[in-house]
Amino acid sequence: MSKEFGVKVEDIFNTMEERFRPEGAKGVDDSFGYDIKGRGRWKLTVKDEKMTITMDEDLENCVAVTVTDPETFVGVNIGKVDPMKAFNSGKFTVKGDLGALGKTAKMFKKFVAQVRQMTTKDYIVDMFGTLVSRFQPSGAEGLDVTIAYDITGPDGGQWMATIKDGTCSLENTISGTPTVKLEVNAPDWVDLMTGKVDAMSLLSAGKAAIEGETQLALKLGEIFSPYVDPMDADKEPEQELIALKKVISVNQRFATGPVLGKMLKGLREKKILGNRCPKCGRIQLPARESCAECRVRVEEFVEVGPFGDVRINDIAYFASPDPLTGETRETPYGSINVLLDGCKGNDTFWHMIRRDQTFQLKEGWNKEKGTRVRPVWAEDRKGELGDILYFEIDE
Amino acid sequence: MAHRKKNRNVGIVGIGQTHYSSHREDVNQPEMIHEAVRIALDDAGLSINDVEAVVHGNMELFEMVFQPDLWHVLGTGAYGKDSYRITTGGTTGATLVAAADNLVASGMYDVVMAIGFEKLQEGNTTAGITNMADPLWSRKLQTGALTGSTGYKMIKEFGEERATNAAMRMRIQNDKHACLNPNSHRAFGLDFEQIETLKESSPRLVGSLQLIHMCSQSDGACVMIFADEKKAKEIRENPVWIRDHITVHREETFNIFGFDEEYPVHMTHRFAAEQLYNRNDIDDPVEYFDVFEMYDPSAWWGLDWLREFFLLEGDEHLKLVENGETAIGGKIPINPSGGVTAANPIGATAMARVAEAALQVRGDAGAHQIPTPVNHALASGFGGTMWTVLFMLEKQLNW
Repeated sequence: MSKEFGVKVEDIFNTMEERFRPEGAKGVDDSFGYDIKGRGRWKLTVKDEKMTITMDEDLENCVAVTVTDPETFVGVNIGKVDPMKAFNSGKFTVKGDLGALGKTAKMFKKFVAQVRQMTTKDYIVDMFGTLVSRFQPSGAEGLDVTIAYDITGPDGGQWMATIKDGTCSLENTISGTPTVKLEVNAPDWVDLMTGKVDAMSLLSAGKAAIEGETQLALKLGEIFSPYVDPMDADKEPEQELIALKKVISVNQRFATGPVLGKMLKGLREKKILGNRCPKCGRIQLPARESCAECRVRVEEFVEVGPFGDVRINDIAYFASPDPLTGETRETPYGSINVLLDGCKGNDTFWHMIRRDQTFQLKEGWNKEKGTRVRPVWAEDRKGELGDILYFEIDE
Repeated sequence: MAHRKKNRNVGIVGIGQTHYSSHREDVNQPEMIHEAVRIALDDAGLSINDVEAVVHGNMELFEMVFQPDLWHVLGTGAYGKDSYRITTGGTTGATLVAAADNLVASGMYDVVMAIGFEKLQEGNTTAGITNMADPLWSRKLQTGALTGSTGYKMIKEFGEERATNAAMRMRIQNDKHACLNPNSHRAFGLDFEQIETLKESSPRLVGSLQLIHMCSQSDGACVMIFADEKKAKEIRENPVWIRDHITVHREETFNIFGFDEEYPVHMTHRFAAEQLYNRNDIDDPVEYFDVFEMYDPSAWWGLDWLREFFLLEGDEHLKLVENGETAIGGKIPINPSGGVTAANPIGATAMARVAEAALQVRGDAGAHQIPTPVNHALASGFGGTMWTVLFMLEKQLNW
């Protein structure tokens, strides 16, 4: 549907009821017709300080019928077109009782075109004004949390949503220690909520910060339905785009073969077995059938460690959910490469450090040695890497 | 000297890329692919009837759709044509180009279309990367593509201040380039004055690797069309010639960095570069090449790998970045497109490197075209635990 001055003819008629002033309609008992060229005919009926507006081809018994084109009609209603000028130029004509039509002027509040440009402040007010109504109990099952929004800048403010027992309430202040706190500049928050920028981009650029439970922040899309931009509300209804959700779960069973299998069996017996290349002498951890660099078969197994020196401690501050278990590792954690006793150069063994010792390790570099560590074995060993739970400092 | 086994010359005659973004929920996979196919055909002035074979690829673990070429056939145009499927993880896009080049060079086909795509939003990227790891051993420890090891190594070698500044400078330079590329997924408008602020504010992922350093997860497709010399010259005035390419693998390993100078690790990037330059008589790659589109999954890797790809020593690579020589307008611009930190639809990413390098050679890169003539371009792909694909492109058939 086309628009004039950004407003549809229909907007004028559709808002008549909410703009109706009963006190201005006292004593009026008439019908008024509107014939908008190319758009249709409407009939306004006023009686007993009530009104109805309908699309109606038959305007026969109306006391006055306004005939005009859409541009003039909208223009006059929003104050863009001078009514006298339109009337005088013949763009706006009235059939019937012109005096009676004058009564309609008092019956309606002025049509205010929806603000075409909402300011950042308008958006922020609207976004938090609609937050509680966008709460989705189904996405918040079992949650007992507080979510603080620290929207910075002159248009910002502080809000805190409390979610408990499937309900949501909002305060205009942040108190206590929220479960998660989001801090972002007001214009960036508006861009995020209106889909102009994604959260990862804001986080990447350091334009947004999350304090507390990051995982909860990532779930906000389930807890609240998406914000609908009022600027989009009068857009043509678009086709609903359906997305299908699927989950794949596959049972797998892998043969390990005689070489790695031997090493795995060793783990079950608390032994770490690597195999040594007959040509370059490197010890492969895990054991492999051949040395890729020398292209020779590797037959000789050697027991190494279990003590060793830390060469690398890769401290992870961010963990994606583990797709194998659905669990998210607690962060920070240290992923370490250990040079086990008996190994040299880059023959390191990859594993994890005990969580509470994440920040207590010294990494090796050239001849400089790193912290001494030892493996901690699982009670029930199955012949897999997990038979070593983690390494810990050898004290 | 060309690759000694290349039967005939192969030209790039058509290039098409979708806009890269975090979500393409408005289209399904074949529809998204078709957008890039259409652009590439239009770019070449060809119809799908002119294409004899289609090579299709992505990393199927990401969306968990097997044989997606079957589902996609209406979008790719492969119906009734010879069709090949290639999936080599991060290098997929570059391997697709290598395969298409080989198919045309062999004489089997005169016109071949290669398609790389990914819709990372439709699956789980971390799950894909985790399941890429050796299932018998590494899956347990693997949680995605993040590592701080390169940052650690560079800080040890060059000191914290210099290394972190250079990495952030590399990142901001890429972002400046991305802002000139309308296809970018991420273009923040960062400035070099923000180096200190970003070092403070951007969340840490692993070690010195911060969120701002890391590549995105994007949706998008890239399509390229290749033709033999005779056809290519008929199709367009300025085909870009594939001079040579090389692929180098390592066994799966995460001990790829080397922390003991007595036991240096020979990186696949350097190994590939040595072989490629040697057989093409390139003595000084920084001098020879006019532009380099690198598969740089993070700013740390991009910075570190410059040294390997250009066979540099010591801090020569840092100096190039610090002196602005790797920016558009510098001596050897790196990733005028914005690189992988600007857009990373993984199966298309490595192809986009070759495509962007070719656009630079053609002079058709638009706002991110480098101002000086581009006669020789380098493009790389990266994947797995050190797989390298490296391409040389030429404006003239005169080597």
